[in-house]
Amino acid sequence: MRYLMHFLLPFLAVFLQSTVFGFYSIKGTLPDMVLVFVVFFSVINGAAKGTVYGFLCGLLEDLYLGRFIGINAISKALTGFLVGKLQGGFFRENFFIGALAVAIGTLLNALILLLLSRLAFASFHIDKQFFTAVFYQFIYNVILAAPLYGWYYRSSRAGLLRLSREN
Amino acid sequence: MPGLFKNKVFWLCILVLIITFTLIRATSSEREDITLVERMLREVYAPLQSSVTEMRDYFSGPRSIFSQKADLNEKISEQEEEIAKLNLENQVLREYEAEVKRLRVLFNFSSNNLDKYSLSAARVIARSPDNWLETIIIDKGSVDGIKKDMPVITPKGLVGRIGSVSEHASQVNLITDREIAVGATLQRSRNTSGIVEGMVEGSLLKMINIPYYASVKPNDMVITSGLSEVFPPGIDIGAIYEVTEEPNGLLLSATVIPTVDFNKLEEVLVITDYTPVTEAESVPEEPMAEEE
Repeated sequence: MRYLMHFLLPFLAVFLQSTVFGFYSIKGTLPDMVLVFVVFFSVINGAAKGTVYGFLCGLLEDLYLGRFIGINAISKALTGFLVGKLQGGFFRENFFIGALAVAIGTLLNALILLLLSRLAFASFHIDKQFFTAVFYQFIYNVILAAPLYGWYYRSSRAGLLRLSREN
Repeated sequence: MPGLFKNKVFWLCILVLIITFTLIRATSSEREDITLVERMLREVYAPLQSSVTEMRDYFSGPRSIFSQKADLNEKISEQEEEIAKLNLENQVLREYEAEVKRLRVLFNFSSNNLDKYSLSAARVIARSPDNWLETIIIDKGSVDGIKKDMPVITPKGLVGRIGSVSEHASQVNLITDREIAVGATLQRSRNTSGIVEGMVEGSLLKMINIPYYASVKPNDMVITSGLSEVFPPGIDIGAIYEVTEEPNGLLLSATVIPTVDFNKLEEVLVITDYTPVTEAESVPEEPMAEEE
């Protein structure tokens, strides 16, 4: 049931991003809810689990999009890993940690996407508009993360999202 | 460091990375068909997305009617005036149409007009959930006769083409996507050709490969040329906004404002029976010289 809930969150995120958030975009930019959940998961469950979760969530998004399948899987896996590693020095229960981690995660994810597009995939166009989109996505993700993290943290400790006893 | 190479997890990560990079490469260009997993995923999402569109229509319809009654009354009177003008224009155009048809029969010309194609109306049920790919999902799929590469339009102009199809939904690649290139020409001077593609900034388009001697001016209408194998000729694409000279001095490029507002797309039309005219078909065979 708990694993199902963790799968349903990115599934719901893709659904909301493709429908509801389309009507509430900031300057045509959508938030990355899948990334928000990957970051939350990594903050609470650590780098190793965060990497696997990031990879699976990114893959779901890639399969839905149908092009460059794997690009989001790699970027979100690496973001999950890095956020999990960075989290070590902070208190997970702190309300602001969620928003801060999402802010860092959004920038890391953008940087990884930029590197991947430059490294290997000439037809994956990322240019001037990319930085504008990242700026608005950064704001949007942080706005969403602030209220969501409290619920996510509580559910991970004692609710539907709790993976194991030590959490 | 030597311990790292003995670590099984390290080698597993390397293997997954190699497989993923291969997958990205394999799916970076257009594919003939989508995989079973992608098709299943789209089939799961399509009814959910469709219901959101229905709910939005249900709730926004009556609310907007009541809240904007005065605004609507004004619009209705404006539209009535417009209809009167259009009726008059229609009468003249009908005469021209009849004349053109007679002349076509006389000269054995084939028609390029859009009215000869079968159109299938579809609703936009979802947009791309990420910021980098310009796609929409429509509620018609293979069961409705939709096939890959069919052109998609609205009464205002060109929207894009079908990128992939599942049973009850299809993904449309918009012309604002950098992957799409459309053969285009100017409505005013049909011999000025170029290629229209998406721009990285905003929802504008760019017409490239225009010869330096071409007469291109702001507000010139850009239409499909029919030279690509996907789009029929004569569909509105947009209006020229700004013309710039390419650094090599041999070509011009122009910014094009699309006629379609891609942020407000709700319904589209899919051309289901367009078959491109091949060169052999379009050039009439020269009559055999009679032997003396």
